[in-house]
Amino acid sequence: MGNILEIKNLCKKYDNFELKNISFTLPKGMIMGFIGENGAGKTTTIKAILDIIKSYTGEIKIFGLDNRKYDEKIKEDIGVVLDDMFFPEILTPDDINNTMKGIYKNWDSNMFSDYLKKFSLLSNKQIKTFSKGMRKKLEIATALSHHPKLLILDEPTSGLDPVARAEVIQIFQSILEKDECSILLSSHITTDLEHIADYITFINNGEIVLSKTTNELLDKYGIVKCTEKEFKEIDKKDYIKYKKTKYEYEVLVENKKDFKSKYNIAVIDKITLDDLMVLMIKGEE
Amino acid sequence: MIGFIKKDLAMIKSNFKLLGVLIFVYAIMGLMGKMDISFILPFMCVMIMISSFSYDNYNKWDAYCISLPNGRKNSVKSKYITTILMTLMVCLITIILSFIISYVNTKTINYEQILVTMFGTLFGTLLVLTIMYPIIYKFGVEKARIGIFLLVFGIVIVFGFLSQYIDLSFIAKTLSFLENYIVIILVIIMIAMVYISYKVSEKIFSKKEF
Repeated sequence: MGNILEIKNLCKKYDNFELKNISFTLPKGMIMGFIGENGAGKTTTIKAILDIIKSYTGEIKIFGLDNRKYDEKIKEDIGVVLDDMFFPEILTPDDINNTMKGIYKNWDSNMFSDYLKKFSLLSNKQIKTFSKGMRKKLEIATALSHHPKLLILDEPTSGLDPVARAEVIQIFQSILEKDECSILLSSHITTDLEHIADYITFINNGEIVLSKTTNELLDKYGIVKCTEKEFKEIDKKDYIKYKKTKYEYEVLVENKKDFKSKYNIAVIDKITLDDLMVLMIKGEE
Repeated sequence: MIGFIKKDLAMIKSNFKLLGVLIFVYAIMGLMGKMDISFILPFMCVMIMISSFSYDNYNKWDAYCISLPNGRKNSVKSKYITTILMTLMVCLITIILSFIISYVNTKTINYEQILVTMFGTLFGTLLVLTIMYPIIYKFGVEKARIGIFLLVFGIVIVFGFLSQYIDLSFIAKTLSFLENYIVIILVIIMIAMVYISYKVSEKIFSKKEF
């Protein structure tokens, strides 16, 4: 199983923000959830992958090819949904169809039309008449309609109601089953990722904090809930971060089983990605 | 490439009506023997295309288009090609209308004056394009707007003044004196300035970050 996307030591410096040695890989046919708080560097990383930002250092390979050298070839096989970047809103889905026919060799008008029907989007209405959720659906339909091998989706479910979100997530899953497509999906809505992502990559303050399989993360990691007295008995090496709440301590541990065998603390909860993010960002060491 | 041109044409299609109305007004005014506004029409094409940059900017199309195959190069190329195609089309329509107006009003067609006027207008229009597009790509359409208005209105006023008070046929006489060479030279200059402008815009856009 080869890697569809490989990022090695990606660095990009701005006046007030920096991407520091970003490295991760996305294997073929997998979904990677890319999580992190606002401003953590998710969109900047995605922009570097797509060459929307320049003057970064490091290596980005897509389908085994350098993303800058083989820009045109690579982008034929990438579908994107970018946060707040799309076609001008005076255009209609029909205009997008006509445009994309002349851009992608594999553009599939029938598929695009099917998605429009599925999402109840009128093809002759200007984008500006669409709600935020409808626009997002149109962006998704546009990203999917040329049979991409890699989907890069920056907040694709933001603005969608729970029903539409479930619908979109289901579509992503069915694409994976049919087309051997791979997906890099950044999202704040981490519950979606828990259900579909094979890998989770967590970025914080411009640095990759972890990149692991979702199963490993959700099965191994845990939150120990204990009293102050119990917390003081825990060796610093045995936890990652902790947070003091009104009544107890919440302690993030990397391996629930190992922890349980070492300490006699009864309550170790399963972790959610939300818990992980909050503790990693707001917790103390 | 074709896709990018289609997108630009789709964006400006709502302005075609306005252009049609202006052409109609020009025809009526011409037939009534009033002011010749033919020089405005090609300039309108550039103005319309410049408005398309605003829409692109508002919805961050420039960043999105980079995610498409060869997006950086083709989006710039399509702006130039669409503008030039539209300008040439409007010039052609205006020339044909001018022939008709000239024939209806005087029972003869003043080929030379009409062609020279349109040639000058085309030159002026392309000059606006070649100066403004790199500025827009460098500084954005909002910042370049003041420059655009100054440049366009400056040229429109100069041409308006010339067509009102000066008999442009002397240019035709000069040109006929120089035979075809001056036309060829001007055509070469036009092609060169569009090419240089395009290359500068392409260079600016190839380095741009969003």
